[in-house]
Amino acid sequence: MTTQRDLRGRTIEILADILETTPAKVRPQDRLREDLGLDSLQSLEMLSMLSEEFRVDLPMEEAMELRTVDDACAFVARAFPTDAAAGATSE
Amino acid sequence: MLRRVRRVNDSVNATLVAAVRRFCHHEVDASANDRRAALPAELLSAARRLGLFGLAIPERWGGLGLSLGQTATLIAELARADRSLATTIGLHNGLGVRALIEHGSDALRQEWLPRLATGQHIAAFAATESGGGSDLTAIRTTARMRGDDVRLDGEKSYVTNAGLAGVFTVLARSPDEGARATALLLVPRSSRGLAIGAEETKMGLRASSTCSVHLDDVSLTSAHRLDGERDATERAHRALEWGRTLLAAGCLGTARAALDHAISHTRDRRQSGRSLIEYGAVRSHVATIAAAVTTIEALLETTAAAHARDESIAMRSAALKVLASELTYDACDRTIQVHGALGFLEDGGVALLARDCRVTRIFEGTNDVLLVRLGSALVAGRGLPIDASGSGSLVQRHAELSERLGALVTRVRRDLGVSAIQHQPLLLDLANADVALHAAAACLAQRRDARPRRTSLLEHAAEHALTRATHALDLVSDANASEVRDREIVSLLASAGSIEEVFA
Repeated sequence: MTTQRDLRGRTIEILADILETTPAKVRPQDRLREDLGLDSLQSLEMLSMLSEEFRVDLPMEEAMELRTVDDACAFVARAFPTDAAAGATSE
Repeated sequence: MLRRVRRVNDSVNATLVAAVRRFCHHEVDASANDRRAALPAELLSAARRLGLFGLAIPERWGGLGLSLGQTATLIAELARADRSLATTIGLHNGLGVRALIEHGSDALRQEWLPRLATGQHIAAFAATESGGGSDLTAIRTTARMRGDDVRLDGEKSYVTNAGLAGVFTVLARSPDEGARATALLLVPRSSRGLAIGAEETKMGLRASSTCSVHLDDVSLTSAHRLDGERDATERAHRALEWGRTLLAAGCLGTARAALDHAISHTRDRRQSGRSLIEYGAVRSHVATIAAAVTTIEALLETTAAAHARDESIAMRSAALKVLASELTYDACDRTIQVHGALGFLEDGGVALLARDCRVTRIFEGTNDVLLVRLGSALVAGRGLPIDASGSGSLVQRHAELSERLGALVTRVRRDLGVSAIQHQPLLLDLANADVALHAAAACLAQRRDARPRRTSLLEHAAEHALTRATHALDLVSDANASEVRDREIVSLLASAGSIEEVFA
């Protein structure tokens, strides 16, 4: 069963994957652009991978406003419906 | 020596343009430089004496302090004569010195800029690495910071000006901090551990220098850092705004040269008692080349004006670079076509234009990558400025197409959300439509102050842009089916042992 903690962990794992680093080096307060060097396209790529993995729709407009790792985790958590969270399994 | 004449507006003084034209006429032989695969020392000396290496360097450091638009005008003039020379000088004045001017310490600027302004030293920008391509965040060169000491290790590829350069702006990543913090550094060529590879053998721009740069435990002081609070990638992107705009200026020069060749050849060459230019098929090619020149001029002007207003031109310069390189390469191809077999020979100089221009669709961000980015931004609600001013049938048609694009974007956003990013063919089509409408708007806006002859050219160019926009929008409707078909075909080819297996 996917929990909010799983969502957060997986979000950071995917982010670390894109950055070719380990999840331990990705800190919640890191800014996607200034600290991690992700551009807007890479931020969207990360979110689309999460959208595919968790099978949720993530709206595009809000995605562009994300600034930090924490923002990205919260965004995915908000979009993930509670009932879906109850039934979904993470890979 | 070029001297800046102050004017209230942003146009380059005609004296500067005339001086550069004279210089090109007397000093530059593009075909000879291409055959030699180098710019002669005496040509570089003449360029130094004229002040071409100081165009964009502020006057306090001995340069002319020209704006981006003014510098672009002069780079276009150089490119009309020799694209290799324009690339060498354009790269120096743009990507080469920009980060130093904007972010270097006073001491570093005082040490280097006066020597760069005179051309005593030439500047290069080393960001790309083999395997990294257009992705500035995928770099592997590392900068280890220990107190005041910085150690650089890595290898940069395809570095323009590397063989001539006295100083490099290098983009590196820190191995220790967080995931991918970056650093932008000014690295003198004399640094121990820095080595330049052999000159690459290229399809075009042969007289410009392109080498790899090896960095083996290069030691610098932290005073060489050009980045502030870990935002080096951002600063590299800002330098790219200059780089892409000056690259487009080079394309403008090439497109004008193509038009010069096309007009003089088709007017002078007679076939069955008539000049070639009297044939409709030939006229269509020539008129299309003229539309390319006009479109690039209009877009370059609006981009430079936005920069002068201190607006970010990240997206505008990307769109300009894409459109200028695509239209110019097409213009070169059409020029070869109207020359017939003569166009295929090196002697006429037409083939050289095409060879020199080909790489502009690739470097400073491949057009495919830039279009995917522009398409993503569009779907995310950050499209290019496409409002067309004025009235008339062209403005009406522009409005209808803009509305159609808006409706398609809304549908994509609703149906796909962030997953739209995975559909690159769709993003390419949307971006192509956006870029074409942006170009048409620039052409239509410039009619305001134009003379009648120029108005005709601008309207003709706007029509071409609107036709491209229509075509791109038609493709959007079919993008999904087309993507599925492409996937099937490529999977068929990839699973076969050889091409013969599939085509047998």
